[in-house]
Order: sequence, then structure tokens, then C-alpha cells
Amino acid sequence: MVCLDMLLANDEEEVVVNVIKLKNIKIKMGCLFMKSDSEIILKISALTKSVQLEDKTLELLQPIDLTVNSGETLAIVGSSGSGKTTLLSILAGLDLPTSGEVYLKNHPLHQFNEEQRSQVRANHVGFIFQQFLLISSLTALENVMLPAELANLPDAKELGLALLEQVGLAERAEHYPSQLSGGEQQRVAIARAFITKPDVLFADEPTGNLDTKTGIHIADLLFELNEKLDTTLILVTHDPKLAMRCQRQVEMDSGVLQEKYTQTKSTNEFIADMKVG
Amino acid sequence: MSELTVKSSPAWFKQSLRLLHHEFRRGELTIIFLAIVLAVGTVFSLTGFTEQIKQAIMSNSANTIAADRVFGANRKIPVEFLEKSEDLSLKLASKILIDSMVFAGDNMLLSELDAVSDSYPLRGKFMGKTSLSQTPVSIETIKRGTAWVEESVLARLDVKIGGTVEVGVLPLTIAGVITEIPDRSYRMFVAGPAIFLNIEDIADTDLIQPGSRVYYQYLFAGEQDNVETFEKWLKPQLNDTQNWYDAKSAQSRLSNVLDRSEKFLSLASMLGIVLAAVAVAVASRRYGQRHQPMVAVFKALGASKSHVQKLYMLHWGLLSLISICVGLVVGYLLMLVGVSAIENYLSLDESQLSFNPFFTAIITGVLCAVAFAIHPITELISTKPLDVIRGFSQNVLPKFGWHQLIPLLALFALLMLFSRDLMMSLSLLLGGILVSVILLFLGRLIMGAGRTAGSKAGKSWHLALANLKRRANENSVQLVSFTIAIQLLLLITVMKSSIIEEWQSQFPENTPNHYLLNITADEVQPLKAFAEELNIDNQGFYSIFLGRLSAINNEKTISIEDDSANNERDTADKDENKEEKPKGRKGAGRELSLTWQSQLPIENEIVEGKWWQEHDDTPQVSMESGMAERLEVKLGDKLTFTIGSDEFTVPVTSIRDVNWKSRQLNFIMIFNQTAIKNIESTSISAWMVPDEKKKQVYRFLSDYPTISIMDFGSIMKQLMNMIDQVSIAIELILVLVILAGSLVLVAQVQASMEERERELAILRTLGAKGSLLRNSVLFEFIALGGVAGLMASIAMEIAVYFLQTQVFEMTASFHFSYWLVGIGAGAAFVGIMGMLSCWRLLNLSSVTLIRRTM
Ligand SMILES: Nc1ncnc2c1ncn2[C@@H]1O[C@H](COP(=O)(O)OP(=O)(O)OP(=O)(O)O)[C@@H](O)[C@H]1O
Ligand SMILES: [Mg+2]
Repeated sequence: MVCLDMLLANDEEEVVVNVIKLKNIKIKMGCLFMKSDSEIILKISALTKSVQLEDKTLELLQPIDLTVNSGETLAIVGSSGSGKTTLLSILAGLDLPTSGEVYLKNHPLHQFNEEQRSQVRANHVGFIFQQFLLISSLTALENVMLPAELANLPDAKELGLALLEQVGLAERAEHYPSQLSGGEQQRVAIARAFITKPDVLFADEPTGNLDTKTGIHIADLLFELNEKLDTTLILVTHDPKLAMRCQRQVEMDSGVLQEKYTQTKSTNEFIADMKVG
Repeated sequence: MSELTVKSSPAWFKQSLRLLHHEFRRGELTIIFLAIVLAVGTVFSLTGFTEQIKQAIMSNSANTIAADRVFGANRKIPVEFLEKSEDLSLKLASKILIDSMVFAGDNMLLSELDAVSDSYPLRGKFMGKTSLSQTPVSIETIKRGTAWVEESVLARLDVKIGGTVEVGVLPLTIAGVITEIPDRSYRMFVAGPAIFLNIEDIADTDLIQPGSRVYYQYLFAGEQDNVETFEKWLKPQLNDTQNWYDAKSAQSRLSNVLDRSEKFLSLASMLGIVLAAVAVAVASRRYGQRHQPMVAVFKALGASKSHVQKLYMLHWGLLSLISICVGLVVGYLLMLVGVSAIENYLSLDESQLSFNPFFTAIITGVLCAVAFAIHPITELISTKPLDVIRGFSQNVLPKFGWHQLIPLLALFALLMLFSRDLMMSLSLLLGGILVSVILLFLGRLIMGAGRTAGSKAGKSWHLALANLKRRANENSVQLVSFTIAIQLLLLITVMKSSIIEEWQSQFPENTPNHYLLNITADEVQPLKAFAEELNIDNQGFYSIFLGRLSAINNEKTISIEDDSANNERDTADKDENKEEKPKGRKGAGRELSLTWQSQLPIENEIVEGKWWQEHDDTPQVSMESGMAERLEVKLGDKLTFTIGSDEFTVPVTSIRDVNWKSRQLNFIMIFNQTAIKNIESTSISAWMVPDEKKKQVYRFLSDYPTISIMDFGSIMKQLMNMIDQVSIAIELILVLVILAGSLVLVAQVQASMEERERELAILRTLGAKGSLLRNSVLFEFIALGGVAGLMASIAMEIAVYFLQTQVFEMTASFHFSYWLVGIGAGAAFVGIMGMLSCWRLLNLSSVTLIRRTM
């Protein structure tokens, strides 16, 4: 039932996605035609996760099905301890499910070993963490360059500088993370996340460690870049306002995932926005 | 996206270099860098240093004895020996050695006279030059009336080549400077620089008198078969005052002399190396932990395992390489410092530095870098990317397993590599493990007890001791290393001062400071008169003659291994004697200085029997108690002495204790006058000459040039100077050990930094005041240092006891004052170092603290 809902939603969004891609002059031949399933970027089915404790088995995730389309922004909300981070880490290929299937860009992550999943992450995935997780002995620029180098992109430095420029930290390129404020560190982390133009960007509480104002600023930046680079964004958050900015929300409750809200009005508005831009 | 080709070097390569560069600049690699530098530097400097000493001793020129075989004795060689050697057509050279004062104008110098025959040397090169700028040429013969001297003689007597030195009553013209002595091995630990003269001149110096200390050497060379035949024939006939050397026995004699000091040096430096290795181990564990988040992020961002592997291999490899190179340079410099300290005593040839120190030091560096880091780094590389989300396991105590065996094996290999002594390495390692386990146990006990006590001692102490207790596991590791570090420091300090003390105690104040030797019978009266006139305190004149104890109760004595024989020349041949195992009474093993007295000398005390009446006509002898015990001589035993060709037998009528520590003239055997009626002798006297009368005394004595003066004041000064310089070498090691110890400490504190940070953050948030936190951290370190100091003192005392009794053959002593030093210094040092390392942390605002640790 949930699946059906999602499929319905997808058709409408496909248009938006393709238009945005055109805007960025990033032409993908397949996008010019209406294809209902080619742009599914993430698909999980019957996914469960449990951990074995000393005396009992803890079911962290009940069987979950979810499909995410390319260019979609999805918020995962839910109370603390409900399993959001657990789900996210499986989606991103950091962890393996106990059962079920995960396809990211058609790669069967659940069948992949650590190395193969690394490869997928390097090529398709970006991350933003609550604790920023910048490498303390590398400069801001070098932190940003890191994923580009891992994906063997040429011109990592130029790309890095351009992105730092976009997050407004061009002057701080040579500074170490410890010389930056929390908000600035998170901006560096955002630049780092976007440098490979990832297909999917995962963010776990990206504003959780920041004050409200900075949080909003960071969120602006995140959505702005997301839109510009046409990335699929999967966001875990407690913040309802942040969640509202996503086109779609799902809610976790004790390991059970439920579709919560899907933006439908957006198509026209987006096209209007586009014209202004 | 991924299939784009790389322009230049691969990403892991660039990233690795970048990381290395930044981390070096930010000081994050300092500890591990220093630890490896120290380990390599220590090994290099010490290996190089001992090698230089050994080389000086064992070098080719020192190996030779200027002949194939040498006969040496305090008397001339029996004629039949020479006849036999002639029969075998062996070549012969002779040499007479005398320690004597020589004069030039107002200057005098204690030197070793080498009077040689024209045929000297039979083997090897005897080189010299007739002007200082000339290149050395071979010295064929020494013309009569001339002398060849070692270069230092010129400066010390302030004379030039062509000038005159007075040797005894004979003036000699200095013909040139000696650059190479073929039997230099004899010259290693002598009274002074060498002066070579023609053997025909020696009689004219008047230096050879009955009772003088003269050493005769006869050098033989020839066809190997003939030499061996001669040796076979001659050896069984040797008595215990006659020595027979080949090149090998000369060498082993020297290395025996060096053994003791080398043992000390290598023990200390092995402990230093262990500490440096511990520092490497601790630092590399921290290195691994510190890099964990980095690896997790790398992997989360898609780095493959091989990427991370290559990155860290290069990172660690370069770090080790740089550290090893710097370590080699540092080690080389340290070695130069050590070498320059002993240069005056050994002629060293720095250009001869072999590959060995480099090899040993590099292996040490590689071993440290690989063996101690392999586990932390494999753990590091296998960090899971999921850890970016689930957090990192900090400060998990190492579990016991195979990986713990590797560092132990490496440590053992290191010790073996350095010492090449299986027993020593094994016992040090096993002892170390045992001690560590005991310390771990003890430390917990003490810390547990401390907590109960601390709960009554105020908030800060309470918190400090609670912390100590809570971190018990980790603290035990710290405690063991602090304890070992402090113990080593104490050990070296105590051993050094007790060695120096023992030397110094042999030279107390207000005792005779001049010995007058070689006084003939006619000279005694004028000297006595002069001493009385100047009111110089003297212990009287003793006639002295050399003799051998040849039988006890008519049982012939044989020479046995004799530890107390300080005279190196006499102990050389003991190996051979041991092999033959002849039967007979234990003998003194050397010629004894004998004297007669009518009164019991001061500082002597009769313990058995009675001192003789002044006019008692029966010949008798009084014997020193230590020797009597050693030779199992009892009151009434009859001792037979051989003096030259004379032989006589006397009963022991008293046994004396002698205070050997006093600088009085002490004798093992004292006869009464009737016992030695017809024996020729010279006299000896000990004078206490105050500084202001020195000049007068010397001027007066210059009229009696054959009298040898030994000025203990200046010898003492020389000796102290030598101790000072030798202790530079010891202090060098001490400094290395201190450095290694501090490094262990800092590395330990650093390793616990993250945890401390977290705790402080929590305490701060809960509202603890800054001063409370500061004090509790301070007290924690002080308590840790104090406990370590206490345990180190106990351990030191045990170790010193064993070293003193087993290794250095000294009397054992206890050092309670050093306990206070140990505990105090431990508490202060660890307290200060701990505070310094935590200072930054303690002064952070609570907000920063909390933010940093979330
Ligand atoms: N390895 C594990 N072992 C045991 N329990 C685990 C493990 N991993 C996660 N959990 C538990 O699973 C539950 C879900 O954890 P998760 O981190 O996914 O929650 P969350 O929804 O992200 O919560 P929050 O909003 O507080 O971050 C929690 O109760 C957590 O304690
Ligand atoms: Mg979470």
C-alpha cells in the first residue's frame, strides 16, 4: 500500500526533476523521455535490522519498503531511538541489513562486501554528519577535496575552492577545522558532501549541533546546493521546520516506517522559481 | 564519474604526504617521532661508543705484542730459557719497564719508561718522527743517550724535540716523537706517557735498585714450529710470578679490565632502550586511536581498504624513516660527546667507525616502528566506516593475545641485538615482565588503600584518588612505566655515586699525600733529617723488597685465580694455569712487597698471636688477616719465602687486621729484623707534605734523582678528572634514560587526553569549580608519581643490592635518603609533567570543552 502511494507521487515529480536537470544543463538522454522507473535511485524492500544482545535479539527495524527517486528530497523524522540513524547507515551502505534488499543506483548493497560498498559510496554518495567529522589535521580545503580525490576526479583543488566559495568560506581555505566555528565547520562539511556531485546525499541531523539561526542558514545552503546540483537528499532530523522543506517525509516509530507527507503543489512553483532564476 | 584517469600521483599518495606534513607541523607526531629518534639515537650512540673503545683496544696495533710470545716477570729471565730459545734459533728482544718520575727543568712527570734492546720490535711497526710536521718513519734503533717520547710528554714537560729529559740520574736528548707502539696493548692503563730509551742506558739511570718495581719482558719470535716447541718446553716450568703471553691472552687481559665498566654501560643502556621502546609502544597505540575517526571518515566517504592501507603504510613508513634518519644524526652527535670525554685516555680513531652502529640502530628503528605499531595500525586500518555514526572505542585496554607477543619478541630481539648476550637479555625481559606484574598488583593495592584515605582528605584529593582508582587499569600501565623510569634513574644515580664514593673513600684528608720510593740505604739518614727539620709528618721508613711466598708448611704454593691482584701484568696467564690444574697450596699468586718492622705500624691491629719483642732473635712473620684467611694460614704455620735466589722459612706469630682504606703504607707480610738480615732492599716512606712546603721538598729531592716521588694530590686530581670525564659517558646514558622516561610519561598522558577531556566536560557541566578540577588533576598526578616513586625506591634498593653484590663486587649498602628523592621527585615530576600536558585542557572554557567532546 505504501508502495502504491509512492509510485503515484513519483510520476508527478519526475517532471520537476527533469526540468531542474535541464536548468543545470546537465543533459541525460534518458530524462528527455518519460520513464516511470529508470530514475529510481534508492530502493529497499523487506529490510530488517536486528542486533543480538547477550540474552535477547533486539529488532531495530521492522520490515521496511521504500523507494526514492532521483532528485527527491526526503526527510526521515521520528522520536529518539526509533531507528532513524540505523536506517540511514544501511541506506548509505555503511551497515548491512539483517535481511531484505537495498539497491542504490541499482547496486545491490546488501550483497556487497565492505570494499564494494566503499566503491559505491565514493562514486555515488555524499555525507553530512551531526558532528561535522572533519579531519582535524587537514585544512578546510583539503577536507573538501577528500571525496573528489577518493573518486579520482581531476581538478580536485579547483572544485574544492569553487565549492568553498559557494559556501562563503573561500578565505578560510587554509584554516584547520579547530580554527572554525561550528557553523563554519558544517559549511565545510556541506562543501565536502557536494564536491563529487553525488547522486544521493545523506545528512543525519545536519543542524542538530547548531543554534537555530545558524541552523537555518546551513539548511538554506544545503537546499540551495542540492537544487543547483540536482542531488537526491535524504535527511534525518528532529526539526519539523527542516523536515517541511523536504518534498516528502517519512516517519520512523519503533523501527516501523510510515509515509507521512508528500508535497504535491510544488510543480508549478518550482517552474516559476526557475524562470526567476 | 569514476573512470577518469589520474593526472599524476595517486590520491592516497598525495593525501598521505599531506597528512604527514600537517601533522608534523601541528606537533601531533612529535611524541612518536621523538620516541623513535630516542630509541635509534640511544642504540647508535652507545653501540658506536663502545665500539670505539673496543676498537682502540683491539685494533691491529694493540693486538700485537711486538713478538710471537712474550715472557714477563719482575725478575730477569732464567738463563736456561734464553739458551733454549737460542737452540731453537728464536729471535730475542728485551724490554724493561719502570714507572718513574722524569724531570725537565722544574717540571716533572710520572711516566712509563720502556728500555728496549736494538732488536725491538720483532713484529709490528714502531714508528716515530723527528719533527712534528714530518710523516712518521720506522724507528730502527734508539741511540744511546737519546729518548723517544709520546707526544704528550713534550707539552707536559714543556720541552721540544732536541731538548733534555732527566731519567733517574741520566740526562737524555729527545730524538723524536713516537707515533705508533707495536705492543700498545700494554700501554692502555699505565701511570703516564711512554718514554723509550736504549736498554743499555738503563743501568746509568740508577733506577734499578733492590726492591724497585721493575718489569722485565723478553720478546720471542721465529718459525711457528719452533715457537710452539719452545712454548711447550717452557710453560710447565713457569712459576706463579712469571707470565707468558701470546697475542690472544694479551687481548683477553684487556677486555677483562674493560668488562666491568662495559657491563654497567650496557645494562644502563639496555634499560634506556627498553624505556624508549615502551615510549614507542605507547605512542603508537595513541597514534592508532587518534587516527581512528579519520579512517572512519575516509571509509565513509568511500575510501577502499587498500587505499587506507597504502595511505597509512606510506604515512607510517615515512614517519619512521624520518625519525630513524634524525635518530642516526642525534646518535652520532651523542657518540661524539661520549668519545670526546674519554679521548684523553684512549687514542680513538673515529674514521674507523664501522657499519655496525648504523646497522644496529637502523634495525632498532625498524623493529620499533614495525613491531610496536603493527597491531595498532592493523586495528586502525580495519576501523569500520559505521564508527562515524556509532562512535569510537577509546582507550580499550589491550586484550591479551598473539599481538602482545610481537612487541615482547621485538624487545627481546632488540636486547639481543644490542647486547649479544642471551642470558642478560632473557633475564632482563623475564625479570621485566615479572616486575611489571608485581608492580601492577602492588599499584592497585596502594591506589585502593589511597582511596579510603583520600576520602578523608578533602574534596580535591577525594576526586583525584577516585579518578586514580577508576582509571586503575590504565593507571597501572602508567604506573609501571613511571616506576621503571624512576627506578632506573635512581639506580643509575645510586650506582654512580656509590662507585665514586668508593673511589673517594680511598683518599681521605690529612693522610700522607706523597710516597717516596726507591730510597737507598745511604739516603735514609739525610731524608730523615730533612723531614724532621721541616717538621714533616711521616710514617717512618720501611725497607722494602719483593718476594714470593713459595711454600706453606713445606707444601709448595701454586697460583690460583686471584681477584685481588690489581697488577694486570701478573694475572695474564691464569687461563693456562687453570687448564693444567696443578696440585698444591693456594698461593698469593704474585710477588709481595715485604718489609720488616720492630713496632706494630699504626692502623694495624693484632687479632691473633702477639707482636714480637724488640730484641727477639727468632725469625718470625706477622700476616694480614684477609690473606691469612684466603690462604688458610693459621698461627704457627711455617711460611717459606723466595727472594731472588734466597729462600728462608719463618713461623707466623701474629695475624693483623689492616685498615686498607687508609693511605698508610700497608703490608701483608711484616718480618722482624732477624728474619731478613742479609737481604738487600730499598726503603719507602709516606709523607704528609703541606702545599706550602711542596717546593722545598721537591728542590731537596731533586738532589736524589733516583728516588721516585708519587704525589697523591696530583694523582688524585688526575683521577678525579678522569672520573669526571668517564662519568660524562655515564651521565649521557642517564640523560637518555630520563628523556625516555619523560617521553613515556607524556605519551601516557596524551593517550588519556580524550578521556580526561570528556570527564572534565562532564564535571564542568555539573558545576565543578575550576580550582577543584585543577587540584584534582594535579593531585591525581602527584599521587601517581608518588606511588611510582615509592615502588621505584623499593625496586631500586633490590636491584642495587644485586648489582653491588653480584656484578660489581662491592659491599652492599642501603640508601634511604634516595627513597625520599625517589618519592619526592616522582611526585613532583609526574605532577608537573601531567599539569603541563593538561594545562590547555584545564583552561578551556566549559562551553568549548562541552562542544569539543560532544
Ligand atoms: N549496535 C547496537 N547495539 C544495540 N543497540 C543498538 C545498536 N545500534 C542501535 N541500537 C539501538 O537501536 C535504537 C535505534 O538507534 P538509532 O541510533 O537508529 O536511533 P535514532 O532514531 O537515530 O535516535 P536519535 O534521534 O536519538 O539519534 C536505539 O535504541 C539504539 O540504542
Ligand atoms: Mg540518530
